[in-house]
Amino acid sequence: MGRAYLGEFEELVLLTVAVLEGDAYGVAIASELKQRTNRTISLSGVHIALYRLEEKGFVQSELGGATTTRGGRRKRLFTMTTAGKQTLGEMREVRNQLWESIPNPSLT
Amino acid sequence: MTNHSLPPAWADRLLGWLCPPQLLEELIGDLHEQFADDVVRVGEQKARQRYVLEVLKFCRPYFLKRRAADLTRQVAHPVEDTYHQSTSYPPFFLLHPDMLRNYLKIAFRTLWRSKGYTAINVVGLSVAFCVCTFLFLMVYRQLTFDSFHRDGERIFQTYRFSNYPDKPKRTAGMPMPFTPALKTEFPEIEAAARLLSSGSLIEYKGRLFEKALRYTDADFLTVFSFPMIRGDRAVALRDLSSIVLSETTAKAIFGTENPIGKTLLLGTEGNQQRYNVTGIMADAPDNSSIDFDVLIRIENSPTYKESKDQWDAFSHPVFLKLAPGVDQTSLENRLKTFTQKYFTSDIDGLKKKGAKPDERGDLYAIRLQKLANVHFDTDIAGSGAPVAIVYALSGIGIFILLIACINFINLSIARSFTRAREVGVRKSLGALKKQLFMQIWGESTLICFVGFLVGSLLAYLLVPVFNAQFNAKINLIYLLKPGVIVGILAMFILVTLVAGGYPSWQMAKFNTVEVLKGKVAIKRPGFLRNSLIVTQFTISCLLTCCTIFAIQQVNFLRTMPLGFEKEQVISIPVGNKYNGRQLLQRLRNKLANDPTILAISGSGVNLGRGKDGSVSRSTMGFTYKEKEISTDWLLVDYDYLKTLNIKLLAGREFSPAYPSDSLDRVIITESMAKMIGEKDPVGQFFQTDSAGTKYQIIGLIPDYHLYSLQNEKAPITMHLSNTESISYIFVRVTPQSLNSSMDKLKGIWSEIAPGADFIASFLDKNIDALYRNEESISRVFSFASGIAILLSCLGLFAVALMVIEQRTKEIGVRKVLGASIPGIVLLLSQDFVKLVLIALAIASPLAWFFMQKWLDSYSYRITISLWVFVGVGASAILIALATVSFHSIKAALMNPVKSLRSE
Repeated sequence: MGRAYLGEFEELVLLTVAVLEGDAYGVAIASELKQRTNRTISLSGVHIALYRLEEKGFVQSELGGATTTRGGRRKRLFTMTTAGKQTLGEMREVRNQLWESIPNPSLT
Repeated sequence: MTNHSLPPAWADRLLGWLCPPQLLEELIGDLHEQFADDVVRVGEQKARQRYVLEVLKFCRPYFLKRRAADLTRQVAHPVEDTYHQSTSYPPFFLLHPDMLRNYLKIAFRTLWRSKGYTAINVVGLSVAFCVCTFLFLMVYRQLTFDSFHRDGERIFQTYRFSNYPDKPKRTAGMPMPFTPALKTEFPEIEAAARLLSSGSLIEYKGRLFEKALRYTDADFLTVFSFPMIRGDRAVALRDLSSIVLSETTAKAIFGTENPIGKTLLLGTEGNQQRYNVTGIMADAPDNSSIDFDVLIRIENSPTYKESKDQWDAFSHPVFLKLAPGVDQTSLENRLKTFTQKYFTSDIDGLKKKGAKPDERGDLYAIRLQKLANVHFDTDIAGSGAPVAIVYALSGIGIFILLIACINFINLSIARSFTRAREVGVRKSLGALKKQLFMQIWGESTLICFVGFLVGSLLAYLLVPVFNAQFNAKINLIYLLKPGVIVGILAMFILVTLVAGGYPSWQMAKFNTVEVLKGKVAIKRPGFLRNSLIVTQFTISCLLTCCTIFAIQQVNFLRTMPLGFEKEQVISIPVGNKYNGRQLLQRLRNKLANDPTILAISGSGVNLGRGKDGSVSRSTMGFTYKEKEISTDWLLVDYDYLKTLNIKLLAGREFSPAYPSDSLDRVIITESMAKMIGEKDPVGQFFQTDSAGTKYQIIGLIPDYHLYSLQNEKAPITMHLSNTESISYIFVRVTPQSLNSSMDKLKGIWSEIAPGADFIASFLDKNIDALYRNEESISRVFSFASGIAILLSCLGLFAVALMVIEQRTKEIGVRKVLGASIPGIVLLLSQDFVKLVLIALAIASPLAWFFMQKWLDSYSYRITISLWVFVGVGASAILIALATVSFHSIKAALMNPVKSLRSE
């Protein structure tokens, strides 16, 4: 692949960051994922994935303004970088190609 | 949500602990938000549970690693904190796992590179740990003797104190009426038990068992808290026909049956009594002074009737349990009037001898000894270990550990120069002193730990060997008690601190610039090292000297003429199954015409310690011509003198030709003659009490040792009797038939005493067995001093190697300039020899002092010879020389071209 490796869960988190578009932070991502995948998602797992993605350069983050709902604590908001976007695109490409090469169409 | 509930605060605190502080705000924020949602969706209780679970899930390496790094950064750079906090991820960590990995890697590399030193360290430490474990376990066993009884601090043994004019005497034997009188007059004595030891034959369903029988009072079960397995403690010994068995005894007799309520027959054939089993008690542990197979009431003892009102027949120890809060000294003071009232004859006797009251105002007193001290009180317990041995053992253990530590320190310091450059590089790259210390100390701890592991393994494997060799009865199970584990850990940490701390501190102190230039100098080089080597050799020499003296003393006792011929005599304990006199008669008949049997006799007292292990003594005190006489009152049979080859000085031996010999004739020893003050005692008469038999002396023999040589030869009076029972049979055989006659006797024994054990032994073996205590001390000492010398030499070997390595160039130059090989060897060795000489000078007076003290406890003792010190000194120097010269000769033989070209 050339660039940094992206795990399955990390990919999901990265996609969710893209979905939430500017409002992506820990709890929002976790609840979104919970809804969509029906998996048990732990906050710590989401956070680690986010920090890893940031270390790899797929997302960037900044602290948001003060809030009222969570004891006044700030949120760290994540947005996707171009590198992230590109990697996601490449992965999708690879997958599509693989799907199309399946000889037996009944699998779809 | 204005009035929202909050998640558990402790969970937040935990999170603060687990996570890097710069992430804490957003994480707690997210968690709280989720919690608020959960409260709405699933209720507060469930939400709280989920919250805690979520927090716990933050215990992940990802967060922990970063958290650890943060902490170390704070420790290392407290001032720069503000700078680091501004960046979200800290740039470097000092105690980072990667750094630790590096330390570990370096540690293994250095240790591997210097395999020799590592091996010496590990071997030294593991041997020391192993030996220390053994010694401390022996000490532990001794110190915990009798410590398992409940309310142990309220249990006492009584003893009689008599202030004889020559020296005060303490004895444990008490008269039969003492305990009942004591209990009625002193209500503060909660319980009191007499304990009369004997052996007995037990019959159950036709099967016979020989067991150790203790006659005692019902209070035995109150005083001592051996666990009761079956039966009721309160009533088990209430009836005269009750019998309590130990667990093993019950198993041996009844197997799986329930013994309670069963009837046993006790006693010899034709004289049996029935007893009902009322209780089963756990066996006395092996660190108990009191042991028993069978307990019955003392009123059943055959001598009870005649002795129950006799205040001057002392036969048994007495144990008391005082009521809570009763003070020992005040009770002893109140016992004074009691003593005046009942022990009148003893007090009169003492007064006649000119005895004076001691500093407590006592001429004669009943006093109490704490149960915890009984084991160490050899006067009272009869057996047991002198407390000095316990000190000696712990001392040796500490010494050995010290020697191993010294080796470690010396080697580490000597090795530190080779690592000086590493220290310099690390320092110039920013390592802190604290960090370097931790690194190097950690390396020492690693070696200590390996040594400790190997030592534990060794201990585990060698326990059976050690127990067999030194008859030590130690058990590694004791090591698993929490207190002991803490002790071991403390010792381990102390060792790592002592052995690893100092060298690491030294190294961490190195001056960076000088070290990198290659110049390392410690002020007064080697002073510490030399004093440590001196300490090692002092300890080794001390132990060796003590060992040699102890061995000499034991040999002296063994080979000392005893006054009788101990060779070629077989001693057979009769046991309780048959009447000894009948057996002796049958044996005489069987062997009358056997040419290999020279003489057969019997006696009430064994010589030395036989395989039955029992020691008995009967004494007699009476007045003769206004003089107080006390003598051993020994029962013998015909041919006793002939069997033991004791020559008569005057008179004749007992003979069946004179019928009255078995009634009122006695043979006495020289010291007995002296005591009664008769120059020519043969033919004289004396009476043991005014109304009793008039004894006539018919023979005079030289003094001989009836008991251990630790005591002086005591006056002995021999008498013959047709009624008193013989306990031991002696058979003298010809020297050619030593081995065959043992087998022959065994065969005959099974004919004349079917079913009885044949536990005969040769007298010389019995005599040796008397000195088992001394022998095992001297063996432990030899073992320990051997280990000490070995470890010291190991250290010296390594230090010498290193010193010589450092002087390679000097040796090269000296050789080039024409030094001879012997000259160089001398030069290299003399430093070490000097150290050994100093050590010897310190050790000799110490050894002399300690051994003088020890030998003072013997009536017959060796004199301390100066030659031993000379010999030990010479051999120490030789050993040191041999150790050092291995390297020095190698260095001296080396081609100077090689050593000078090395740079």
